[in-house]
Amino acid sequence: MSGGPSVIRRHTFEKSNTELTSSLRANFTAHQSSPPTPTTNGNTTAPKPKPPFKSWTTQQDNTLWIPTHTPFPLSEPRESYDITVKLFYLPNVPADTRCVQTREAINLVLKELGTSSIDLLIVSFPGISFDADDEESDLDDTPSAPDSLAEADCDADGAPEDIDTIVTTWHTLEKLHEEGLVSNLGISEFGCSRLEKFLPRTKVKPSVDQINVRDCCVVPKPLILYAKQQQIQLLTHNDCTNVLPRGTLRDILGSGEKGVGVLAGENEDGERLRGEVQPQWVVKYTAVVKDRGVVESKGYFAVAELRE
Amino acid sequence: MGLLALGTPLEWPEAKKVASKVRSWGIEQLLAIWGNAKGKERAALLWGDEIEYLVVCYDEQNRKVRLSLRQADILAALANDEKLLQEGGGVPDVQRGPVKEAETTAPVFHPEFGRFMLEATPGKPWGIGFKDLLDVEPNMKWRRTIAREHMEKTEYPITLTTFPRLGSPDCIVPSYPASGPKLRSQYVPDEIANPHIRFPTLAANIRWRRGRKVEINVPVFRDEKTQWPFKDPTVNYDLHQWPEDDDVRNGAAKDNHIYMDAMAFGMGSCCLQITFQAKNIQEGRTMYDQLSPLGPILLALTAATPIYKGFLADTDVRWNQISRAVDDRTPEELGEKPLENDRWRLPKSRYASNSTYISQDPRLRREYLDPDLVVDEDIKKRLVEGGMDDLLATHFAHLFIRDPIVVFAEDLETLDLSKADHFENLQSTNWQHMRFKPPPPNSDMGWRVEFRPMEIQITDFENAAFSIFIVLITRAILSFNLNFYLPIQRVTENMETAHKRDALSTEKFWFRKNPFGSHSHSTGTSTPAEGSRPPTPFGPVEDEYEQMTINEVINGQTSADSGKDCFPGLIPLVESYLDSMNVDVETRCELARYLDLIRKRADGTYWTAAKWIRHFVQSHPKYEKDSVVGEEITFDLVKAAEQITREEEGWAWVGDVGAEKVRTLRQGWRGRTGVFA
Repeated sequence: MSGGPSVIRRHTFEKSNTELTSSLRANFTAHQSSPPTPTTNGNTTAPKPKPPFKSWTTQQDNTLWIPTHTPFPLSEPRESYDITVKLFYLPNVPADTRCVQTREAINLVLKELGTSSIDLLIVSFPGISFDADDEESDLDDTPSAPDSLAEADCDADGAPEDIDTIVTTWHTLEKLHEEGLVSNLGISEFGCSRLEKFLPRTKVKPSVDQINVRDCCVVPKPLILYAKQQQIQLLTHNDCTNVLPRGTLRDILGSGEKGVGVLAGENEDGERLRGEVQPQWVVKYTAVVKDRGVVESKGYFAVAELRE
Repeated sequence: MGLLALGTPLEWPEAKKVASKVRSWGIEQLLAIWGNAKGKERAALLWGDEIEYLVVCYDEQNRKVRLSLRQADILAALANDEKLLQEGGGVPDVQRGPVKEAETTAPVFHPEFGRFMLEATPGKPWGIGFKDLLDVEPNMKWRRTIAREHMEKTEYPITLTTFPRLGSPDCIVPSYPASGPKLRSQYVPDEIANPHIRFPTLAANIRWRRGRKVEINVPVFRDEKTQWPFKDPTVNYDLHQWPEDDDVRNGAAKDNHIYMDAMAFGMGSCCLQITFQAKNIQEGRTMYDQLSPLGPILLALTAATPIYKGFLADTDVRWNQISRAVDDRTPEELGEKPLENDRWRLPKSRYASNSTYISQDPRLRREYLDPDLVVDEDIKKRLVEGGMDDLLATHFAHLFIRDPIVVFAEDLETLDLSKADHFENLQSTNWQHMRFKPPPPNSDMGWRVEFRPMEIQITDFENAAFSIFIVLITRAILSFNLNFYLPIQRVTENMETAHKRDALSTEKFWFRKNPFGSHSHSTGTSTPAEGSRPPTPFGPVEDEYEQMTINEVINGQTSADSGKDCFPGLIPLVESYLDSMNVDVETRCELARYLDLIRKRADGTYWTAAKWIRHFVQSHPKYEKDSVVGEEITFDLVKAAEQITREEEGWAWVGDVGAEKVRTLRQGWRGRTGVFA
């Protein structure tokens, strides 16, 4: 399913899981209804019957596209853009399927943007979230302000990925790099100790480590120094590691008040789908016109499995 | 301000006779530019800021501070500084060094209307690279340092919008008598203006066209011991040197107001202006429209002008005073007399908030436009015949309702379509809060938009913060396709509201509730328009906007009612934009300092300069609670402002005690992040 390039969050400091879900909802709604409901935030007065999902989705082999997907290729020459892709691996997915998933995700983005390569691919592993507190702080530093702590509020699902799985997955990315599909690789939420364990086992080093700190001025010094030494750029982001919890997805696709009516409710007959949805991965893409600093295209794809 | 054009300026009666000719030649030049440049595409964002200074001169012995009229000498010193020229700097109107491609280029300096003023701009335009954004503040500090180095020991460039005692006795050095032939002002001599013939002519012809002196009445702040009704004690009713001396006997000076009578009182103000080069004309038109409703908000947020002619005023910003200082409307145009000789009634001065929207944007509803817009229909017809679309033709035909004020006889011999002098004559004497600027002929510049409402801030940190904020807002507007449209008359109303004392924390402003498109498939401007779906039906215009505090506009509305549209706030929109970009932690940390100033200025944590200045005056031992800002208070105030810019460590106004606290906080902050310092 795709969440069109809806870029905006409605409220301050929402994290990407909200951005993703509201983007998915908006895109579904836009495709479901014609004419669209006059308000975007869903306060329709009378509950209208949901249109049958087959009218606005497409079945291709054993994949259901929600909604029917039309790519929006970039309008200017490729070299005008900086294309960043962030791939969120989700919990409870066996490591060996990641290889396939990664290629799948990249291909989808390339097709969407009508291009053949991306500039930066950042991967996010489940259960890993950077916490300024975990890092050894320098001794003369006595952080007293609690506002500066990184938040792990939406990342509670699952134990951190172990280093072997991470390294195995990384080899897939190195292959993409070799093939020229991806110019630079990046990781997300790695602190010093994890980097120290990880780097020696890589052929292609990450050029970027994305960290999420509410106050970006409070990055631990050791990490800053280590990253400089390893020539890894520390970038900011505001995403969740567990970007698409299963329950959220059920709500969106379900037949309840806030759902779009793809999945059947309990004891419901008809053509709506039945089964357990299991989110597999989410990818976010951003194409920025370099010289103008304008985000021309941004969006998400999310893939889930439906098990009978 | 380019000054190279010289010639024989026409006195007003002569200039008036050729006004139509200048206008129609200007329109032909505009059409030539339009024809050549309407398809112009410029890939990069380039932008520039302008800082304006007052040059003050201290008299330590007598504890007095005066305005220094040595602009010409200072500019000469800057233009002849070999080292500065080598670094690319200088004075473009005289000589400057080469612009460096790869390395830093030194800043450049320009004359301004007031002979006590100086303008400084970066040596080459800024780009959107985040590194460029972080260079702005050091560059501004560098400019001040260079300016300072080319002044006398007793002189200093300060960034107050106005000199508190301009127009009071003994406020300039060297001293000249008032009541000169050009300005005919009771208060300031003709020598107050830049001696380049353009400026005195401008001032004289505005007065002449108007039929009397300009009239600036600012409401006075009523303190405990202010005489009431307040009758400006500095008005001299017994002058009989010029016919205009009758003005005050005919009621020009209003009760309870501070009265001023010359262009210098307005055009002698310092502003912070930002100009953007757009990718193409469409993007320029979008930026012009979308930044326009932000104008009054930024005016109130940067408020810094609470004193005029030695009195505390009851307003906080400069805007209307400048507007009145160059108001050339005749009594007929003002509606004081029946229309006989003039063509129309004009509701606004030629310096005013803007009255048009110009973007060919489906979101621009007819209801947003001014139904009473005054337009020269013949000019509009000519522009449309020349191939210009109705909306843009209306804009220029609106600007061209004015007369050219300064006309040089030599320029009227032949029409040169490869120049823009006649067009610029009208265009650049329409001082609206936004300006849409066509590319100069034969240049590789693109279409530009100038954002003009902001007041200059006392520190370079603040000036950098507001510049960067506006740049980031334009990027958010273009990236997210934001919609800030509201009826243009509401913007005009907001501009008035912004004048009120402490409008920032006491007033509400009209603002659009929902800045997002009605469906989600709207990204950057270049994304192909979505095809078949019918447009969302519009609801009533009045439902689209409401009154908000500045804090709500900047930091966002919160509402318990989840179904209600909540305005997300300009800062969260900028944060959201930054979240979409790859920004390194160090840069984000630096940018956060600037955004934090805007955020906390809006929520009242930090004070505006206007509030700080009021507080400074009212708690000064020499202040007698009678609204009078005397020489010693002025001396201490200017000193304090200077001191802050000297020691500035990126701190913001939080008042007397607060200032010290912030400084400590800042130092604490630096300590914590030693790596970035």
